[in-house]
Amino acid sequence: MSVAVDAADTPRERAGVGAVYRVEIAKIRAQLLPRAAAVICLLAPLGFAIFINTQSSVPADSLFGRWVQASGFAIPFVLLGFAGIAGFPLLASVVAGDIFASEDRQSTWKTVLTRSCSRAEIFVGKTLAAMTFSAVMVALLGASSTIAGMLVVGRQPLVGLSGELLDQTHALTLIVESYALALVPTLAFTCLAILFSVTTRNSMAGVIGAPVVALLMVGLSLMGSGVVVRSILLTSPYEAWHGLQVSPSTTKALWIGLLVSVAYGALSLIVAWRSFRRRDFAGDGQAPFRWSTIGRVVVATVVLVAILLVGTLLNKTWITSTHLEASVSQTLSNLIVVQQQILGRELDPTTVKVYPYCKRESVISGTSSGPADDWACQVFVDGPHVSRLAADYSIAVRPDGCYTADAPASLVGPLHMKTPDGGTTINPLSAFDSCMIAP
Amino acid sequence: MTLALDVRDLQKTFGDVRAIDGLDLSVDAGAVHGLVGPNGAGKTTLLRIVFGLVAPDVGTVTVLGTDVAEAAERSADGVGGFVEEPRFYPYLTARRNLELMADLDGGGDERIDDALATVRLDDRADRKVGGFSSGMRQRLGLAASLLRSPRLLLLDEPTVGLDPSGARDMLAIVQTLAADGVTVVVSSHNMSELEGVCDGVTVMHEGRGVWHGSMERLREESPAPAHRLETSDDARASEIAGRDRRLEIVADPAGWLTVSADRGVLDAYVVALGKAGIAIRRLELLMTALESMFFSLTGERAEPPAVDRERDELSTGSAR
Repeated sequence: MSVAVDAADTPRERAGVGAVYRVEIAKIRAQLLPRAAAVICLLAPLGFAIFINTQSSVPADSLFGRWVQASGFAIPFVLLGFAGIAGFPLLASVVAGDIFASEDRQSTWKTVLTRSCSRAEIFVGKTLAAMTFSAVMVALLGASSTIAGMLVVGRQPLVGLSGELLDQTHALTLIVESYALALVPTLAFTCLAILFSVTTRNSMAGVIGAPVVALLMVGLSLMGSGVVVRSILLTSPYEAWHGLQVSPSTTKALWIGLLVSVAYGALSLIVAWRSFRRRDFAGDGQAPFRWSTIGRVVVATVVLVAILLVGTLLNKTWITSTHLEASVSQTLSNLIVVQQQILGRELDPTTVKVYPYCKRESVISGTSSGPADDWACQVFVDGPHVSRLAADYSIAVRPDGCYTADAPASLVGPLHMKTPDGGTTINPLSAFDSCMIAP
Repeated sequence: MTLALDVRDLQKTFGDVRAIDGLDLSVDAGAVHGLVGPNGAGKTTLLRIVFGLVAPDVGTVTVLGTDVAEAAERSADGVGGFVEEPRFYPYLTARRNLELMADLDGGGDERIDDALATVRLDDRADRKVGGFSSGMRQRLGLAASLLRSPRLLLLDEPTVGLDPSGARDMLAIVQTLAADGVTVVVSSHNMSELEGVCDGVTVMHEGRGVWHGSMERLREESPAPAHRLETSDDARASEIAGRDRRLEIVADPAGWLTVSADRGVLDAYVVALGKAGIAIRRLELLMTALESMFFSLTGERAEPPAVDRERDELSTGSAR
C-alpha cells in the first residue's frame, strides 16, 4: 500500500481570498437553485413580453406599463419596477442567504475551516462570490428583458418620464444606467442576506430574511410619503432611476440611495463578521428554527416597523400641488412636442406654454397634499397647433412621487392615434406617467 | 524529542458543560498517539481546538511549534485530518470535492489521484458524494487530509461507519503514514481497536486526562483480562478457583462466573477444571486487559461482548 504523503514538503503559499472565491463560484455553478434563478432571469422577461402582448389590457398602474405594447424598451423598465419590490432582494438571497448557512446544513464547516484559509479569507471570499451572483442576476435580468422587449415588441421610441421621446440609443443608455443603479441596493440586500445566513445558521431563514425585510419596507413606503423615513428604507434606492428621466434630471436620490445602501451593507457585514469570527464550530448540522427566537425577531420587527410607521405618518409630506403642477407642466410641455412630432409637425418646445391647476377632489378648502388617487389637474395649453387646449387630467400620485395621469378622449384625443404613414401609436397626451422627485 | 502536539492546562466550557477540564497532553513527533475515552470525554472538543474550530477558554495548544491562538484563525500548517464524520458537498463528485479542497490549500491537485487510490476510492472518484456511505465519506475524509501533506494527522474516530475490512484498511493506512514519519493522533472510544496501532495513549474522562503513557506501560499496569465462564458445576469451579490467589472469580447474578486472570493462570485453571470432571460449557473473553484498564480508569460499565467476538473466541477460550 502506498500513501501519498510527502512530509518533507515546505509549506505552500497561502490560498487566500482568491481561492475561496473560486471555490464558492464553482459551488454556486454546481447548485440547482442558483442555476434555476439564472434560468428564470433569462427566460421570465421573454415570457412576460410574449404574455403581455397577447393581452387586451396593459399594466397601466405601473410606470411605463401603458407602453409595453408600444415600445420594447418599456419591458425592462416595467420589470425593474416589479423587481424592486422584492424580486431583487430574493434573487440576492438565493445565494447570499445560503452561502454560510449551507455549510451548517451540510456540516461542512469543519471541512472548509481545516484547510489553509483563515476565517477572514473565507468570509471575504464568500461575500464576494455572493455579490458576484447578485450582480450577474441584475445584469442578466436587464439584458434579457431588453432583448425580449426588442424581439417581441420592437425598437420603437419610448416616451420617458419627462415626456420626452427616447430614441433607441437614449433608451438603451437609460436602461443600463437604471439597472446599474438597482445593483447598489441589491448588493446591500446581499449583505443583509449574508447577515441572516451567518447569524441564523439556517438556510431557510437566510434566504427568506432579506425579502421579508424588503416587503416590510415596501409596505412602510406605501403607508406615507415622509421624506426622512423613506430615505432610510433600503427599498427606496430602487426608485433612484426615476431621477435620471425627469426633467431636469437629478442625482440627489442616487447619492442618498448610495449612502443608505452602503450603510446597510457595511453594518450587515460588520455584525456578520463579528458573529462569524467569534463562533465556536462545536457541532454539526444547521440551527433549527426555535419558536423563542422567532418570537423575539417578530417582536423586534413589530416594534421597529411601528416606530418607522409613526415616523412616516408624522413626517410632513413633500407631495404638494405646487410640486405636482411643476411636474405636470414640464412633462405635458414635452409630450405635446412629442405628439406633434408623431404627427409630422416640428414644434419649438419654448413656444408651448402649459398652465396646470392641481388639487385633490376630496379637499374642499385648504391646500392639497399627499399621495392619493383623487388628484385632478385642469390644464390650459397655449401654443402652435394646440392653441387654447384645455384638459382635465385625473392623477393618481404614489408615495414615491410618481404618478399616472389620464384625460378623457373628448379633450385630448383617443388612446391610439394615426401616424402620417398610416400606422397606429399611443397618443402621448391621452395618458402619461411621470415622477416628482423629493426635495 | 520534539513535540508535535503540546497541550497545557486546557479548559473549555459550553454553557454549563465543562468539555475540557485542565487537560495536559504531549505527543512526540513521529508517534502514533491514541486518545481514548467514552463518549463525552472531550476527545472531539480537544481535536476541534487543535484544528482552530473552537477557541479554548484557558490554556495553550502548540501544534508543530505554532501556538494555535496565534495561527491567524486558520488551521496550522502541516496539520490534517478530520473531526467526527467528514462531510463534503453532496452535489459534487469526490474528485471535484478534493479539487476544491486542494484549491483552499493553495495547491495539491497533483496528489488527488494518489490520495484516492490510497483510500481505495479511485473507482468512485467521479460519483457524487451525496450517494456515498458513511464509510466512503470517512475514507474520502482521509484522502482530503492527505492532500495537505500533513506532518500531524488528527483522526477522530476514523473507523466509525467502516466495516471490519475497511477499519483494518484505515488503521493500516495510519501505520503506513506513521512509518513515513507523520505524527498521528487518533481518537476512539474503543481501546482494543488502538492496541496494535498506537505507541502512546491518553485516556480521557470528563474532560481530563486520567492516564497518559506508552501502550507498553498501559499493558503492564492493566489488570488481568476478564472472562465469562459457565460450567457444569459453578460452585465447585469457584472452590477450585479459590485455591489460586492469582485468579479472581466473581459469581454474576445473571448466572455465570466472571474470571479475571492472566493467560497462563487461566490455562492452568481450565486444565484443573477438566481434571476435576467439571465441563466447561462456555468460556469467552469479556474484556481485554486494556479494556479492563479503560473501564477502571473511566468508571464506565462494561457492555456485553459483541456477538461476533463471542463466536470467534468461544471455542478457543484464549486470553490476550
